[in-house]
Amino acid sequence: AQAGPHAASFCPLLNSGCRLVFVAASEWSGGSSSSTGWEQDSDEPAHNGQLLEAVHLVLAVQQRHANIESSELEKVLDSFSNMGFSNAQIMELFSLQPKFAPEMRLMVVCELILLGLDPDSTLMVLQRSPEVLRMTAQQLRHRADCLRKLGLGEGNLQRVLRRYPTIFTLPWKKIDAVVRMFKTCLFPVAQVTEILQSCPNVLLEEPQDLEYKFQYAYFRMGIDHRVMVKSGLFRMSLAELKNRHIFLERLGLYQTPDKKGQTQIVNPKLKEIIRVSQKDFLAKMAHSSLEEFEVFRKLLAREEEEDQARVSEETDSDSDGEEERSEIE
Amino acid sequence: MALQNFDMNYGAQFGSLWPSIRIGLLSEQKYGALVNNFSHVGRISQDLRSLNAVDFVYESQKAALHVPWDSPVEQVRSEETAPEETRNEQLSVEKTQTPPLLSTSISPNIKCYTFSRGNISRFPPSRPDTSGILGYYLLDAASLLPVLVLNVQPGDLVLDLCAAPGGKTLALLQTGCCRQLAANDISASRVSRLRKVLDSYVPKAVGSNVRLTSWDGRNWGELERDTYNRVLVDVPCTTDRHSVMEEDNNIFHRLRMKERQMLPMLQMQLLLAGLLAAQPGGEVVYSTCSLSQLQNECVVERAVELAEIQFNISVHVEDLSYFRSVFQDTFSFFKDCRLGELVLPHLTANFGPMYFCKLRREQ
Ligand SMILES: C[S@@+](CC[C@H](N)C(=O)[O-])C[C@H]1O[C@@H](n2cnc3c(N)ncnc32)[C@H](O)[C@@H]1O
Repeated sequence: AQAGPHAASFCPLLNSGCRLVFVAASEWSGGSSSSTGWEQDSDEPAHNGQLLEAVHLVLAVQQRHANIESSELEKVLDSFSNMGFSNAQIMELFSLQPKFAPEMRLMVVCELILLGLDPDSTLMVLQRSPEVLRMTAQQLRHRADCLRKLGLGEGNLQRVLRRYPTIFTLPWKKIDAVVRMFKTCLFPVAQVTEILQSCPNVLLEEPQDLEYKFQYAYFRMGIDHRVMVKSGLFRMSLAELKNRHIFLERLGLYQTPDKKGQTQIVNPKLKEIIRVSQKDFLAKMAHSSLEEFEVFRKLLAREEEEDQARVSEETDSDSDGEEERSEIE
Repeated sequence: MALQNFDMNYGAQFGSLWPSIRIGLLSEQKYGALVNNFSHVGRISQDLRSLNAVDFVYESQKAALHVPWDSPVEQVRSEETAPEETRNEQLSVEKTQTPPLLSTSISPNIKCYTFSRGNISRFPPSRPDTSGILGYYLLDAASLLPVLVLNVQPGDLVLDLCAAPGGKTLALLQTGCCRQLAANDISASRVSRLRKVLDSYVPKAVGSNVRLTSWDGRNWGELERDTYNRVLVDVPCTTDRHSVMEEDNNIFHRLRMKERQMLPMLQMQLLLAGLLAAQPGGEVVYSTCSLSQLQNECVVERAVELAEIQFNISVHVEDLSYFRSVFQDTFSFFKDCRLGELVLPHLTANFGPMYFCKLRREQ
């Protein structure tokens, strides 16, 4: 099935005349649409009249783009089918973000397929982050190019898209700020790339939070850049990092190195602290009980909260009561 | 400084228990609210219960009733549990309804609310009632154990040798048993703090049974020998929890080295003075808020020895394991004390450290 000139202008894939067949796609039978008969035909290569009707119906119900010509819509549906979407998946695609016209929908989907996603992942990405539909093909392509330049090449790019699709819709300024922050913290370019590859979620975090996490690991825990990167420091939340580190510290099992980088005990490796389940952390490293750890988390959270309140309150000194002090003297 | 010292000494003393004690010391401690029987007890207790706190003294004894103890439990069972409400309103000792078995071994009328294991809630500061009296006093709940174990009886003459700032003095008065309470502390400024505490918790009439002094407790053997039924010797110590939290000017500072080295000696002298001040047959409780064996068991052993040798006084050190079993749901006790009992800090029950040992002067 050759796509008409209209559709071709959205979707370069169809220009080439090649027909994408994704083996798994036709077997896909999920989706939330109710059974109306058309999906039974989903293993047929092209749409049929029932699908066209069903999509028309969806558009009518949504009261958007209801006046689209059947021939136009048919071309769009054709293209989706050609890309390997089942009828059920096509229905799903149309149920997302009704305000966008069918052509735009096609264009974005096309671009995602070009970025190497299969129909399943494409649908999943759009379901999780419908705002991707707002992007133009050009924007998507541009963002992909920029991410490639940061080291998120093939393979990584698809992973990022699947796991954190919003990275494609963030303002570039935000991404740039994160990358610059890492450079300011003196991570060499290769390490920045490694961080982005192994923990792409950093792009979604606030640069100052990341910087604080870096400083915490560097100054409080005495960990160098290379180890941070290799151990996947940026995958763990700051709160959990602190919970585990301060827990060990108060147990006497972790020490901040002195100016010469020395400690009186041998600190456990960062990786062994953060890359293990909580259960193993408690059993093998802290030798402590879950009950104690849970109480500790609550106490630490309150300590931090109060430290912060104190800092922002500046000077409001003498507030501790007489009686509270009495016992400790 | 303090912590380094502890890691070395307590690491050796407690072995694999030390990390969990250490983290307890370094994390926020728990308080107890000692109910002031001279205020509106019923209302105060109700307020505290509405915070989800429980009176650990009452609950422990209630639970202990179901623990069979060797002997005469059966005969006294009949008069056991009085409803708590009425219990709360009672001050006078005669009517006391503490569980019978224990009433023979625990100071009566002390009520202290705490939050259960693992609950990190705090008590709001106590507010004065219409007569200006405060409803409860916040303190480390473990510091009531020395007072409870002192087993004050109606009409007793009681000495609190190192009393300031007065948490335990106040608890002693709550028993309603002291015919006379002598509260002493060598530091005049701390005695004036103690006076303020009494002023805000105790009516004048009761306060007049309290004699405040600021003498050197070591001389009590010469001052009032063989006088008291009960003596509390709550000595100055390394205050372990305080010392790890306040890095400045704690007793582990280099400039206070001498003072620290002299502590066990001072403690021993104070305990000895306490033993001399007790009547024959009288009971003495020695307590510290330190984990150090040197300041705890060793001091007791030395004092007992010296009392025998120098003063020909024989002293019996009591076995407190029954007492420990009564309170073990609230506190985390050390199982291996040679003498006395030690409450260990623990995240889920972060009281103590509190060491206490009970001695009886033989007739
Ligand atoms: C652990 S504190 C007592 C706390 C008090 N029992 C309470 O529960 O609030 C020890 C006290 O011993 C006092 N002290 C130190 N040396 C003394 C001495 N030689 N004679 C009497 N008191 C002394 C200190 O001034 C200090 O107030």
